[in-house]
Amino acid sequence: MSLSSQEIKRIARLARLELTPEEEQLYAGQIADVVDYIDQLERFAREEVHEPAMAPVEREDVASGLRLEPEAWLANAPAALDHFVLVPQVKKSD
Amino acid sequence: MTDLWQLSARELASWVRQGEVSALDVTESFLERIAAVDGAVRAFIRLDVEGASSRAEELDRRRSSGETLGALAGVPIAVKDNIAVADWPLTCASRVLEGYRSPFSASAIERLLEAGAVPVGQTNMDEFGMGSSCEGSAFFRTHNPWNRDRVPGGSSGGSAAAVAARMVPLALGSDTGGSIRQPAAFCGVVGLKPTYGRVSRWGLVAFASSLDQIGPIAGDVEDAALLLAAIEGHDERDSTSSVRPPSLGGAWRDGDASGLRVGCLREIEAASLGDDVRSSWEQALRRFEERGARIVEVTVPSLEAAVAVYYVVANCEASANLARYDGVRYGHRTEHDRSLEALYSGSRSEGFGPEVKRRILLGTFALSSGYYDAYYGRARAVQERLRQELFEALEQVDVLAMPTSPSAAFALGERVEDPLAMYLSDVYTVPANLAGLPALALPSSLDSEGLPLSLQLLGRPFEEAALLRVGLAFEQAAEFSAHQRPGLEAT
Repeated sequence: MSLSSQEIKRIARLARLELTPEEEQLYAGQIADVVDYIDQLERFAREEVHEPAMAPVEREDVASGLRLEPEAWLANAPAALDHFVLVPQVKKSD
Repeated sequence: MTDLWQLSARELASWVRQGEVSALDVTESFLERIAAVDGAVRAFIRLDVEGASSRAEELDRRRSSGETLGALAGVPIAVKDNIAVADWPLTCASRVLEGYRSPFSASAIERLLEAGAVPVGQTNMDEFGMGSSCEGSAFFRTHNPWNRDRVPGGSSGGSAAAVAARMVPLALGSDTGGSIRQPAAFCGVVGLKPTYGRVSRWGLVAFASSLDQIGPIAGDVEDAALLLAAIEGHDERDSTSSVRPPSLGGAWRDGDASGLRVGCLREIEAASLGDDVRSSWEQALRRFEERGARIVEVTVPSLEAAVAVYYVVANCEASANLARYDGVRYGHRTEHDRSLEALYSGSRSEGFGPEVKRRILLGTFALSSGYYDAYYGRARAVQERLRQELFEALEQVDVLAMPTSPSAAFALGERVEDPLAMYLSDVYTVPANLAGLPALALPSSLDSEGLPLSLQLLGRPFEEAALLRVGLAFEQAAEFSAHQRPGLEAT
């Protein structure tokens, strides 16, 4: 198969990746090669599988695991103020 | 006198427990070894010399105050850079996590500390575990200690190289499609991927959650078992971790292979293997026969499809798992953050390397509307068939034996430009992950160029003890002795 420039742009947008025109060309070619290889699965697949890879595991709905102070988490935030992570403005002010 | 760094983990732990040597002397011996040879190998991304020394001193204090130390007392250990250690950086060899420090330790690390181990540093890897050569690290390339022009394998290449060069007696790796076993094979050491669910994944950075497993890399089978015994077992913080009792209670140490049925795959007999790889594998089968085992031919027709299945399933999961790196709560954030959307895609594009981008794109493609059934759905169906075929084969035999890799360590740079060629070298390691089976890679011989070759054994789920027993029988019979080491000159 080959991936059109429009198609690789669509995938990149879904993956939240910005690609340069050179990257678009490179990845479109490489991904098409891998997809051609993967297409051999058609020969092997006979039946459909519906169940998930793993059965769900249930536990009591109680808080457990890691408890850390907010500062410990926020220490890794690129930008924080008080106990909040800062991000660019989401909604335009009127 | 033998240098301490030449000893096995079990010898070191026993000496430290008995007070024959101090944990500090052991740690210092390995730190000196690292200082002498890591300039040539470059296995470590970072070391914690101070932390390791003070940890060793603490163990010595505890011992002299009468405390009985654990099974890994004073044993230095290297940790792959995708397993969390509290207050250490954790980067998965990626720019996207540069500067990140883990606020907590993985369950496996907590257990190691409890057993008295001394973490000394973090090892190089392919970014996020995506690669088979360690060349995908965003930081630098690691060299194979047997031949510095060759790759150490990947993705746990730093861990395998560190053990092979005797910079540590033990290392932790992680294995999603062969990332413990293939580098162990290329570096002439032992690597074990436990059964899925045997070792808690809590604190392991997720790549493909249904396939990922933490496991040991060691100089020989007994040391690998020692490390597995320390880290295995149920953990309620990982809902996929098994409640089955630990695997190593039984008498597996007799290394008895008599009466054993060793499965030999018809598909591999027909495969194109290098001459050296084929003769090493055939020789391994003869060794088993000499020790009283019976070779039984079995068939796994879907083996041929394993790589294709793997690169769909693993990349689909990776594209979802890696969505968390968006520059908001942690990790790299772009300066071009005029909008939230630009913040996400800018941070990701600047932070991820080419192989990670390629795999995220592939996974996103295979999960996207219009392609899901043809790729993800179909791959899952073939995965299920492969799993059934392997389970059926393992009903007829005790273990399956095959080469770990179709070749010995390849040259640095050889496969960087050709991702598909790189992927195809995983053909014998991905089946164990796709079926959740335990698998052990063992050095078998040296090829005509003096590079290690490796035999892989696959066992039944949660029967690591049986696998180790067969592994030990092979180790005792193989040409390759654990005392064989790469001839690294101290630099």
